[in-house]
Formats: sequence, C-alpha cells, structure tokens
Amino acid sequence: MNCEQLREHYELYAIGLAEEPERGEIREHLERGCEVCMAELQRARELAAIIEGSAPLAEPSAKLRQRILASAGVEPRRLGWWAPFWAVAAICAIFAAGFFNSRQKELGNQLLRARDQVREQTIELTRLNEAFAILSGPDTTEAAFGGSQPQPPKGKVFVNPSQGVLLMASNLPPARSGKIYEMWIIPKAGMPVPAGLFQSAAEGTALYVRRGPVDVNATGAVAVTLENEGGAPQPTSQPIIVAAIPSRGPSAQ
Amino acid sequence: MTLLPILPMLLAFDAEGDRRLVERLQRRDPQALAELYERYGRMVYSLILRVVRDAGVAEDLVQETFLRVWNRAQGLDADKGSVGAWLLAVARNRAIDYQRSTTGRARNTLEMEATDHPALYTDMEKDLLQSDKARRVKAAMEKLSANQRQVIELAYFEGLSQTEMADRMGQPLGTVKTWVRAALKNLRHELGAAVPA
Repeated sequence: MNCEQLREHYELYAIGLAEEPERGEIREHLERGCEVCMAELQRARELAAIIEGSAPLAEPSAKLRQRILASAGVEPRRLGWWAPFWAVAAICAIFAAGFFNSRQKELGNQLLRARDQVREQTIELTRLNEAFAILSGPDTTEAAFGGSQPQPPKGKVFVNPSQGVLLMASNLPPARSGKIYEMWIIPKAGMPVPAGLFQSAAEGTALYVRRGPVDVNATGAVAVTLENEGGAPQPTSQPIIVAAIPSRGPSAQ
Repeated sequence: MTLLPILPMLLAFDAEGDRRLVERLQRRDPQALAELYERYGRMVYSLILRVVRDAGVAEDLVQETFLRVWNRAQGLDADKGSVGAWLLAVARNRAIDYQRSTTGRARNTLEMEATDHPALYTDMEKDLLQSDKARRVKAAMEKLSANQRQVIELAYFEGLSQTEMADRMGQPLGTVKTWVRAALKNLRHELGAAVPA
C-alpha cells in the first residue's frame, strides 16, 4: 500500500485500533523511515496526547522516586549502617557554620563543591558500569579502528546487542570550542543513526557509552564525526573514526 | 468523570526545559532522571493507574517506564522537546501490555513497537499542548456523545480492539467503527485539520 492509501488509518494506529493489513503496512513504512508516514503519525499522535490527558490525577507513594533512581543506579538504594555517622557529620557541619560565622560562606562553598564532586563521581561510576557491562557481555562484538593511519585516533568499538555501544579512543584531541564529537551507528542499509554526543579528555582519550539495544547484524559500522555543538541529525563532515563491525554470521542472533 | 484533569499539567509543559532535560539525559546526568520524574512522575502514574487500576502494579510499571526512557534517551531529538509525550506513550503501552497479559489477550505488538520510534513524539508540547488547540480539543472531548467517548476510552485505556469493544458493548462491529470514526473526526476537527472520511 502507498501512503495515500494508508492516510485514513494513521489515527486508528495511534490509538491502537488499526487493523490488518493496514497496521502491518504502517509499521513497515515506519521501519524503513518513510517520512510521509512519520509526519502523519506525529499528527495523529496529537489525538492520543489529548486522550492521555483525560486520566484522573493520582499521587504515587513517596518512595517511588527513590526506587526508580536506585534501580537506574543513579542514587544509592539505602544509606547503609554508616548513615547515622553521616547525619552526625552533617549536623556538626551545620553547628560549625553557626559558631564560626566568618567561615560560614566558605563551608557552604565546600559543601557545594563536595556535592558536585559526588555527582560527577556518580556519573563516572555509572558510565564505567555501563562500559563494563558491554565489555563483559558474551555476545559483544568488537572492532578496532585507526590502526593503519599515521596520526590516528586509535581505539576499539564494542557492540552488544542488548547493552549498547562502547567507544574507547586515544589520540583524539578535545573538540575545539563550539564543536563536539558525534557518534553514529551506520546500518548496512539506510542512513546513519545518531548515537550521542561526547567530548574527549584533555589528554586525548575518550570513553563513550551509548546505551540501548543494537541490531548488530544490521550494523555495518560505527563512526564518529566532528559536529557543531548540539550535534546534527545526519553527519555534516567526513568521519574521524570508522570502525567496521564484523558480520556475526547467520547463527549469531 | 471530569474530563482532562491532567491537561492543565500538560499545558504547563516547558518545551525549553524539556530540551535541556533531554540533553542532560543523553549525557547520563543522574540528576536529569530525578528531574524527569519530578516533572512527569505524577502524570505517568495517573495514566498507568487509569489503565491497570492497581496502585502497586502501577508503581512497578512507572518504574519500568522511566528506566526504559532513561536507557533509550539517545533516540530522542533534544531540539524537539518530545520527552514528555514519548514518556506518556511508553507508559500507556506498558500498562496496556500488562493488562493484556493478565487477561490472556494477545499482546498488541505492532502498536507497542510504535514507541520504538521516539521521533514520532515531536513538537507535541510546542504545537499542541501549549496552544489554544488543546483547549478546543478539551471542549470537543466533553462534547463527544457517551458512546463515542466510551469507545475512545476502551481503546486507549483498556487496549480493546474494535471487535473486542463490539463484544463488550453488545453492539454490531459496524456501529462501533462508526462511533470511533465520528469521535476521531470530532476531535480532529477541533485541531483544525481535516479528517479523512
């Protein structure tokens, strides 16, 4: 079916009422990135949003927020046995700030810096955990890049079908002001898919994780381009890194 | 039922704030997930509870929903500020999926996988939810006949097919299809665009 024939079925699809064969046809159009169908379905989604709005407001339990953050690994599930000590330390800090009024501002700044450090370390730890999950996956495929270039970035890409893509690079100088590195997952057939923005460290190393499922067998390569800050929907420059993903063969599903 | 109690919250979406939030989610900023929950947790919970009608199950599904979005934020377009719409769509589909599994109904896989295309959920806040259009459609929802509103709610909140609705309501399939089309046409009319006949 062509897009015109499907036109009256987009709204039914958006609220789950499309029937076969139209439902399968729309899905097929979406899978191949049909711009007409994507635009029509965006429009149809507006209706679904309005219907979503008719649900009566309800209040989840106060613990749900903590549960979600803990399960995402971004906040400790519980403080542990040492929590009272931290509480005492915090109380002491507050009293100290009161007694030593002249140092209050300085202490406040120290607390803010400590909080920032903890936040940064939490981000880094999360990233390393993600990288480790990909590296240790039995079904991870790896590909090297830059080996034959005189002044490479060099490194490896690891692709795991359920965990995502890990890129480790050296000799990759930090992108200059106003620019950023953008990773792309390049299908064997189709347009490059944006896979996130990253910056390399001052010493020219980069460790970047793009989480989420990847169809490894349909992936031809992972590439990196230098883009304007904010990234681009499609590459606008020649790739700096191209790592061809080896085929896993028909048995490797 | 009072219609559209969530709508005022949807209208309060901050598109610019959403854009920045998406960028931070993509950078794996842990605080961004906390903010995402602060902004949308109540709406997501309300929507899921409307479908599953069990607070404990709803909280489990809210958790799954936020984790899914946290893990797949790279697929969002930060410039479009679409995270709220996508989040609600993922929530609804996850809830319907659960309902179907508990009642032994087949999972509606094709429709579920629509949420695998985050790009479908673009511009919602800017073009619809922050405009007068939403208020006009709110009025249209209230104007729907009882039957039209019922088929829309059965489809959206219970995940029923048109055939299943016909069985549930004891009406001919053709009648149900007519109500569905009429409801969509009325709503679309309020959005200012023609509905295909």
